[in-house]
Amino acid sequence: MPPLARFLRSTELDTRMLGMVGVLLAIWIAFHVLSGGLFLTPRNLWNLSVQSSSVAIMATGMVLVIVTRNIDLSIGSMLGFNGMVMGVIQTDLLPKLLGFEHPATWMLTLAAGLVLGVVLGALQGCIIAYLGIPAFIVTLGGLLVWRGAAWWVTSGQTVAPLDDRFTLLGGGPEGSIGATWSWVFGLIACAAVILSLAHSRARRRKFDFPLRPMRAEVFLSAAGCVLILAAVAVANAYPWPIGSVRRYAEASHIAIPDGGLFIAHGIAIPVLIAIGAGVVMTFLARRTRFGRYVYAIGGNPEAAELAGVNTRWVIVKVFMLMGLLAAIAGAISIARLNAATNSEGTLAELLVIAAAVIGGTSLAGGIGSVAGAMLGAVLMQSLQSGMVLLGVDTPLQNIVVGIVLVGAVGIDTIYRRRTGSGS
Amino acid sequence: MTAPRTPLVEMRDISLSFGGIHAVDRVSIDLQPGEVMALVGHNGAGKSTLAKILSGAYRRDSGTIAVRGEEAAIANPRDAKRYGIETIYQTLALAENVDTAANLFLGRELQARWGTLDDIAMEAAARKAMGRLNPNFQRFKDPVKALSGGQRQSVAIARAILFNAQILIMDEPTAALGPQETAQVGDLIKQLKAQGIGIFLISQDIHDVFDLADRVCVMKNGRVVGTARIADVGEDDVLGMIILGKCPAGAIPGPGATERSQ
Amino acid sequence: MRRLATALLAYVALSICFAAAAEAKGKVVGVSWSNFQEERWKTDEAAIKAVVAADGDKYISADAQSSAQKQLTDIESLIAQGANALIVLAQDSSAIAPAVQKAVDEGIPVIGYDRLIENPNAFYITFDNKEVGRMQARAVFAVKPAGNYVFIKGSSADPNANFLFSGQMEVLKDAIAAGTIKNVGEAYTDGWLPANAQRNMEQILTKTGNKVDAVAASNDGTAGGAIAALAAQGMAGAVPVSGQDGDHAALNRIALGTQTVSVWKDARALGKKAAEIATLLADGKKMSDIAGAVKFSGGPRKIEMSSLFLIPIPITKDNLDVVIDAGWIKRDEVCQGVKPGTIKVCG
Repeated sequence: MPPLARFLRSTELDTRMLGMVGVLLAIWIAFHVLSGGLFLTPRNLWNLSVQSSSVAIMATGMVLVIVTRNIDLSIGSMLGFNGMVMGVIQTDLLPKLLGFEHPATWMLTLAAGLVLGVVLGALQGCIIAYLGIPAFIVTLGGLLVWRGAAWWVTSGQTVAPLDDRFTLLGGGPEGSIGATWSWVFGLIACAAVILSLAHSRARRRKFDFPLRPMRAEVFLSAAGCVLILAAVAVANAYPWPIGSVRRYAEASHIAIPDGGLFIAHGIAIPVLIAIGAGVVMTFLARRTRFGRYVYAIGGNPEAAELAGVNTRWVIVKVFMLMGLLAAIAGAISIARLNAATNSEGTLAELLVIAAAVIGGTSLAGGIGSVAGAMLGAVLMQSLQSGMVLLGVDTPLQNIVVGIVLVGAVGIDTIYRRRTGSGS
Repeated sequence: MTAPRTPLVEMRDISLSFGGIHAVDRVSIDLQPGEVMALVGHNGAGKSTLAKILSGAYRRDSGTIAVRGEEAAIANPRDAKRYGIETIYQTLALAENVDTAANLFLGRELQARWGTLDDIAMEAAARKAMGRLNPNFQRFKDPVKALSGGQRQSVAIARAILFNAQILIMDEPTAALGPQETAQVGDLIKQLKAQGIGIFLISQDIHDVFDLADRVCVMKNGRVVGTARIADVGEDDVLGMIILGKCPAGAIPGPGATERSQ
Repeated sequence: MRRLATALLAYVALSICFAAAAEAKGKVVGVSWSNFQEERWKTDEAAIKAVVAADGDKYISADAQSSAQKQLTDIESLIAQGANALIVLAQDSSAIAPAVQKAVDEGIPVIGYDRLIENPNAFYITFDNKEVGRMQARAVFAVKPAGNYVFIKGSSADPNANFLFSGQMEVLKDAIAAGTIKNVGEAYTDGWLPANAQRNMEQILTKTGNKVDAVAASNDGTAGGAIAALAAQGMAGAVPVSGQDGDHAALNRIALGTQTVSVWKDARALGKKAAEIATLLADGKKMSDIAGAVKFSGGPRKIEMSSLFLIPIPITKDNLDVVIDAGWIKRDEVCQGVKPGTIKVCG
């Protein structure tokens, strides 16, 4: 085996994931060339990260749903309903109780939204798990019911504008953490990567397991850190727009120097939330018993039952998680738009399912990766946003995205069959 | 005659119906420590159902189960495992998409700090357990669906003996195995017997039954036809019990026996 | 026992018949909605219901939930329920033809509501959508007569989107031909979803490096999305944006200065007029005898129709009192967050 292939094998990286990253890079480079150098700019990449965050967050939960051989068609409607409720709470309910622009408004609103999301998810999950009604039907019903409910909250009226602090959840200049904190975040993430590699190596050594060659460990640490810090650098290279800079300078009584004042955006808050969701969900899926049971149920529900796993409770929890993630995505969506509309999230479930499937989740159950799903979300958003950049209009965009979706899954199916593996 | 010992497992008057069909009808059976009790009968006789009642997969409608003399409340597979009852199912009941160690510890995972899975410890234990059964097995990282039939069987067996089982239920353990692997299973059963473990062996193969079992219990249409010590009956007798329900002289008849043969 | 049950059943059946017969005394006005979910139609419905109730007639309706197919069944069902006049908000103007023809054949007058139904026997009442587009463009042009324009259009599946765009273009075409206005970006908004408008606007801003001087958005929802994208670039308020529908959020934005105009179609006036005309037509009045009716043949098939055009009102910061006085929105809703002294209507 050629030395490069041997080396890659020794890093134990998932080849399928590497392939997906390769495709993503190819798409990015293609768009960059076709758009005359506009795609791979800090600004566009920063926008892309924010635009993908909502779908990416929900995709992490959808992976677990699909792995357990279920589906959730209602997340778009849950997002819309939850968004309307959060809108009304912060513009109507809480101002009556606490007065306008109270510092706690956003927290209470968000908390209420999260609780509602969990409750809606639990409701659907219980009907699916304990009454045995197929998830397709229950969540299809949910799609209709929650969308109607979303209209009902305000009889169709859009709620705008939202609480000032709440809108920070949507990104924008104030909704980003700035250069310093971004570097801090980057360094922490880098340290986390190195520590986890070291920890895993120590555990293996304790049991005399075969270790990754030191070169591979060093390579992984270095590659990880470089990628993280490069991403942070890109986020920090995107400056505040001049209007915001002026406002800030006036408010802080700073004079703007001749060359302009460069205030970096840094990582956007919704992106941080998405990264957090990804990390937590990956942890849940791979390092906890709950995650193990999710995959076991997907592989063989009867075997899980016979092993003593409380399969029904696991499924309820999976749907509760999905509801929670839809609520988070809803908060980000309405914050970004600075308005709660009853149509928010329409058709989101299809995008989320497509992201999960492109990311390697099998609709037959048992197989799926959270990181892959997030990559799938970024991939699809890259296609859509890239095409707008090129001036390709909406109907053609939809055709392209549809073709790419089928193509990606087709290639994946053939690849799986060829390698005969399920991993 | 040996003094009567407390049976390891005593199932009395067990009944279970699905819809209108009596899958198991007033079945009584017991198992002594260090003994292999074969459970034979046609397809649909109720052997697997009875075994699943003991293993907690099904809930009986009526009857009692006693383990080591004390009444056992077995409402689900977890309860059964707590009493030391482990099962190797006919379908193996393995989760195909996860690896060997994950299957061995399914439902009973080892945990590290903060409730995370201790994958490394589980893999180490898996290597030890599989090493005893199948020393050449190395594919610990592959999902179970990539293993051969015999390897899968080893995983199912390893899972059953990993947790200090006292009562083992083996449902058609050699059905999908070749002669060499069948002999290995036979050796394993002898080892387990020597350790005092009681084994319910469900099998369609009369030769296996006469090779490995100490006693045999024949079921027909959900009822016990008869129970006998292997030494006291011959193959034809057992076949007669299975097919005709005729209980021979050397056997203790049950509710399903049609007539005593001379 | 069985005789008792039969008797009970007969009684129930007879009473239903009587009830139905009793109801049939007043007229029945049936309304077929295309998609009741959108914010606006509730207002239209309230206006129609008020007129119908005042006349002592009955109001029945059906929601096609954006399906042209379902709307055909809806109309048949309304006819079966005894409608004496039909008001139809067509989901798809061409696909609706067979159902409308059926109603016309049964002598039931049909009113095409807001969206064109090209049947010579149907009455067409609408706000002039092309005029809406013209008003949007005029208001934005008044603020920025030259520069780079972006067009955030409606849904490509909605014919109204093209009416609006062509109206906008009519007003701007001279300037575009002269080169003083440049079209630097246009995009349809899938499903009229504000989130899609926001994303498209973001990408257009990236493409043009923020060199955008004006945005012609086709309704208030998409305007909101475009303005959110502008706000993230610190450009909200500096770039004129148009809209329509008179959404409360949009009227507030006009007061705040981030949106320039929202073309307001007083849906209550449209609903009221439609219901009045429905009653008149059901009573046997001829379409040509309706006060204010004109002949209109501007549709794609150039069929001449009796029509009534209501004039939309462009609402800018100068005439916000119109919507407040008309009872459409309360003053404090319009003025929420507005710094005192910036705009007359808010004091």
